[in-house]
Amino acid sequence: MKILVAVKQVAALDEDFEIRADGKDVEEDFLLYDLNEWDDFSLEEAMKIKESSDAEVEVIVVSVGPDRVDESLRKCLAKGADRAIRVWDEAIQGSDAIAIGQILAAVAKKEAPDMVFAGVQSSDQSYASTGIATAAYLNWPHAAVVADLQYQPGANKAIIRRELEGGMLQEVEINCPAVLTIQLGINKPRYASLRGIKQAAAKPIEEVSLADIGLSAGNVGADSSMSRVRRMYIPAKGRAQMIEGTLAEQAAKIIQIINEFKGA
Amino acid sequence: MNNSIVSNASEVSASGINASDITRILFENFHPNAVHLFYVIGYIAIAVFLYGTYVQIRKYHRGQADGSWGELLHRFFDMVKTMATHRTLVRRDKSAGRAHGLIFLGFVLLFVGTSIITLEYDILQPLFGLKFWYGHFYLWFSLVLDLAGLGLIVGLIYMMYRRKWLKLPKLDYKRVDRQAGDADFDRSQYRREDWAFLWSFILIAITGFILEATRLVWLSGRPVVWDYRMWSPVGALLAHLMQAIGFSADGAGTFRTGLWWFHGVLSLTFIAFIPYSKIKHIFTAAASLMFKDPLAGRRLPRVPDDQKTAGYKSITDLTWKNLLHLDACTKCGRCQEACPANAVGAPLSPRDVILSLREFANHALSAKELPKEAELDIHGKGVGQVFMETLWSCRTCLACVEICPVAVEHVPIIVQMRRNLVEAGEMEPLLEKTLQTIHKTGNSFGESKRKRASWTKELAFEIKDARKEAVDMLWFVGDYASFDPRNQKVTQGFARLMHKAGIDFGLLFEGELNAGNDVRRVGEEGLYEFLATSNIQSLDDCDFKSIVTTDPHSYNTIRNEYPDFGGTYEIQHYSTVVKKLIEDGRLPLAKKLNYKVTFHDPCHLGRFNKGYDAPRDILKMLGCELVEMGRNKDNSFCCGAGGGRIWIPDPVGSEKPSQNRMKEAAVIEGLQVFVVSCPKDLTMFEDALKTSGYEGQFIVRELIELIDECMEYVAPEKEVVEEILISQVVIQDVVVTESISLT
Ligand code: SF4
Ligand code: SF4
Repeated sequence: MKILVAVKQVAALDEDFEIRADGKDVEEDFLLYDLNEWDDFSLEEAMKIKESSDAEVEVIVVSVGPDRVDESLRKCLAKGADRAIRVWDEAIQGSDAIAIGQILAAVAKKEAPDMVFAGVQSSDQSYASTGIATAAYLNWPHAAVVADLQYQPGANKAIIRRELEGGMLQEVEINCPAVLTIQLGINKPRYASLRGIKQAAAKPIEEVSLADIGLSAGNVGADSSMSRVRRMYIPAKGRAQMIEGTLAEQAAKIIQIINEFKGA
Repeated sequence: MNNSIVSNASEVSASGINASDITRILFENFHPNAVHLFYVIGYIAIAVFLYGTYVQIRKYHRGQADGSWGELLHRFFDMVKTMATHRTLVRRDKSAGRAHGLIFLGFVLLFVGTSIITLEYDILQPLFGLKFWYGHFYLWFSLVLDLAGLGLIVGLIYMMYRRKWLKLPKLDYKRVDRQAGDADFDRSQYRREDWAFLWSFILIAITGFILEATRLVWLSGRPVVWDYRMWSPVGALLAHLMQAIGFSADGAGTFRTGLWWFHGVLSLTFIAFIPYSKIKHIFTAAASLMFKDPLAGRRLPRVPDDQKTAGYKSITDLTWKNLLHLDACTKCGRCQEACPANAVGAPLSPRDVILSLREFANHALSAKELPKEAELDIHGKGVGQVFMETLWSCRTCLACVEICPVAVEHVPIIVQMRRNLVEAGEMEPLLEKTLQTIHKTGNSFGESKRKRASWTKELAFEIKDARKEAVDMLWFVGDYASFDPRNQKVTQGFARLMHKAGIDFGLLFEGELNAGNDVRRVGEEGLYEFLATSNIQSLDDCDFKSIVTTDPHSYNTIRNEYPDFGGTYEIQHYSTVVKKLIEDGRLPLAKKLNYKVTFHDPCHLGRFNKGYDAPRDILKMLGCELVEMGRNKDNSFCCGAGGGRIWIPDPVGSEKPSQNRMKEAAVIEGLQVFVVSCPKDLTMFEDALKTSGYEGQFIVRELIELIDECMEYVAPEKEVVEEILISQVVIQDVVVTESISLT
C-alpha cells in the first residue's frame, strides 16, 4: 500500500523586493523558499493513514524542482515520509501547472500508488490545477478541495467531504485509486523539529530525470506549456497620507484636500 | 558498637582517683546474652541500612551517565563548606536555617561521639588494647555531646513549632498541578512522615538524656561518676530532679534497663530506616551539593548527535545526577515560594515536578527488574507523571535552582522534558509558529533579514559593518532590540552613547540571527544548534576584540553556551561597559536626575550572570535615588517572558508575573521610574503598567534612556521621517495560447 504526496517548494516575497530585469518574475535574491502550506496538510493526511493502519503503508513525497527543493523534501522526511523523489531537468524551467501535472502523473505511473494527494493550490502561483492535471493525465478519478477523508488503506472506495461555497460540504464516494487535492484545516500538521530534519538527511532523496519517467525535454518547459508568463509587475498604487496635528489642524487639512480634489 | 546515640559523662581525677576510671560504663550488669542480643539487633539494622543503600545506588545506576566527576576534591571541600556554614539554608529563612543548624550540628557531634566509642570499644581495644576514652578527654567529650544533644532538641522543637503553629503554606504540600480526586493529589503522607521523623528523633534525644540521668542516680555512690556529673550538665540537672522526686539508686538502675533497650532499639531502627525515608537526605543532600553544577540552567546540556530521541521521555533518560537531585529534595518549598509561575497560579511548582519524578523513579527503578519501556514514560496525566501544561508554565528564570538549599537543578530537567514535547509537537500553536518563523527568517518577529538593522537609518552617523572592517567592539543587538519599535528607540540611544564615547564599534547587520537563548530554553535544540552555529560562523568571520550586548538573553547564551559550540568570546552586558565609560569621563553627565527609582534585575543578567551591581552603580552616578523592591537581586521576580513564554499567550483572566511585579513596585512611595535593563522587560512592563492600572503613577524606562537623558549631544540628530508602508501587490500577466484538452 502506497500513498504518493505531491509537494511544492513555494517562494514568498522578501521585504522591498525587486522585479527581474526581464520583467517576468521577482529577482531570485528576494525570494524566501518554504514548503507550500497546503502540502503540510496533505502529507499529514497521508501520515495519519500510515500511522493508524495495521498494514504496511509507504508514504512517498514527490516534487518537481531544482536542488534547493531537497530542503523541503527533508522536512517531509522529518515528518515521517518514507521516501522522497525529486524530478528535475533544466528543460522543466518555465513549465506551467499542466506540464507539471504531466510529470507528476509520469512518476505516479512508475510508482503505482493507491492514492495520490496534492495540495489544493500553491501559495505562490495559485493555479490550483496541478493536482487535477495529474489526475487527468493518469485518467484517474479526482476530487478537489477535500476537507475530510475516510479511507481504509487498500480499499477500493473512499468517502470524502468537499468544501463548497458558502460553508456547504459535499459528501462524495470516490473510486480508488484517486487523486485528491487537500484543503487547509483538514487536520493538524505536525511540527518538524530541526533535529528531525537533520536526522532526515540520512533518508534518501531519489533524483529522477525526465528520461527515468519516460518523458523528454520536448514534453515540458515554457515552449511546451499551454500558457506562458508575459510579465510580472506592481500596479500603480493609491497613496495614503497620515494627517497629524490637533483636531482643528486635522480638520483644516481635510478641508484643504477635499478642495484640492474638487479643483477649487 | 555502643549503646546510645546521646552519650554523657562525669568527672576529672582528684584525690586518689585514677584517670582511667573516669569513663562511662558500657553494658555494665548486662547478661552476656543481652549483649549478644543487642549486637544481633545492631547487625540487622546495619544490614537493612546497607540493603536500602544498595537499592538506592542501583536506582541511580539506572540513569544515564553524567560527566560531573571532575575536580572531586574541590567539589568535596565546597560541599563541606556549604554544609558547615549552612549558608544555603539560612538564606531567606533564618530561623529554619538556624534550627536546622542546631539539629545538624547535634547530629554530627553525636554521630562522631558514638563512632569514637565504637572505635575504642569494638576495634582498637579488642585488637590492640588501646584505650583513650577516659579522663580529660572523656570529660570534654561528655560536655560537648551534652550540649550537642541540647541543641538538637531545641532545633527539633522549633521545627515542630513551625509545622504546628506557623501554618506555612509551603509545608502543607498542597499541589497546584493536580486536582482533588487525582490519584496523587493527596500528600498527607508527607506530613505524616515529617512528624514521624521529628518525633522519633526527639524521642531518641530525650531518652538519651534521661538515660544519662538514671545512670548518674544509679551510680551516685561512685565518686568517679557522681563527682564529675557537672561535665554533663543536662544529665546532672535531670538526675537531681529524679532524686528530688524520690528515685533511689536501685530504682534508677531498674528503670534504666528498660529505658536503655527502648533508646537503643529506637536508635538502631532510625539508622536502619535512613535509606527508606526522608532521613536519607543526610547523604543525598550532601552528594547533591557535591555534584552541583555552577552553570546549571545557565548552560544547558547538549543533545549528542547519535541520541535517538531528544530530551527526556522515560525516567531512565535522566542522568544519575538528576536522579540523585530528586532524592536530595527536602520538600522545604523554597523553590515553590520563589517561582513566578507558581505565584500567579500556573499549574507549576518546581518542588512538585521534583517530587513527582522522585515518586516515579522510586516506583519504577527500585524493583529488581526494570519495568517495560511503556511504563517508564514520565509525560502524561498519570501518577508521578508531569503534565505538559506544567512544563510549559516554566519561565526558566532559575529562581528555583538559585534558592534550593541542597542544589537541586530543576531547570535542566524541565528543559530536557520540553525537548521531548517539542519533538512530539506538543506545544502551543503560537509557539510552534514562532519556531518555524525563527527558522525561516532568523528572527522571532518574522521580519525580513534585511530589516534587522533598519533602526540605524535614523541615526545621524553611520555604524560600521563588522563583517567588512575590523572593530574594537562588536555589538550583538538581539531580536527585540532590533525589531520592536519601542525598543529601537533605546537601541538608537545606546548607539548614540557608544558614538559619543568614541568607541570603535560595529554590527553584524543581516549576518546576525536570533541568539537562540530562548529557543534553547523552549527545548528546540536543533533550531538552537542551527542559530548558535550560524552566529558563531558569522562572528568568527569578523575581526573584533570583544562583544557588547544590550540583551541579557543573548548575553547569557553567548557567554555561557556558545563555548560548547566552539565560540569563545569576551562579552559584556552594556551596563558594565557604560559604567566604565562614565567613570573614565568618556561619557560626561551633563545633568543629574533626581528621580526616585527602583530597579528590576533581569533574570539573565542578575541571577544568571551575577550582574547586580553595574546598573545600580550607574543609577547612583546619574543622581537617582534607588529604592529596592522586596524581591531584588538574586530573588528578583521574573517578568514572565523567559523560557519562550514571551511567545506563549498567558491565560486570560489570571494575573501575569509582570503585573504582580508592578504591584510590588507601586508600594514604593513616591516612585517615579521603574528602571529595567532588558528589551523584553521594557515590553513586558510597559504593558503591565497599563493593564495593572498604575499608569500615571510611575513610568517604565530602560536604563539607557536615563543615561541618554543626561547626555548633551552637539551634532543635530537627523530628522526622523515617518514612513507609511503600503502593502505591495504583484500582478502576473499570463497569456493562454492554446485551449486545453486533456484526456
Ligand atoms: S525556573 Fe522559574 S518559573 Fe521555572 S520552575 Fe523555576 S522558579 Fe518556576
Ligand atoms: S527542590 Fe530544593 S528548594 Fe525545592 S523543595 Fe526541594 S529542597 Fe526545597
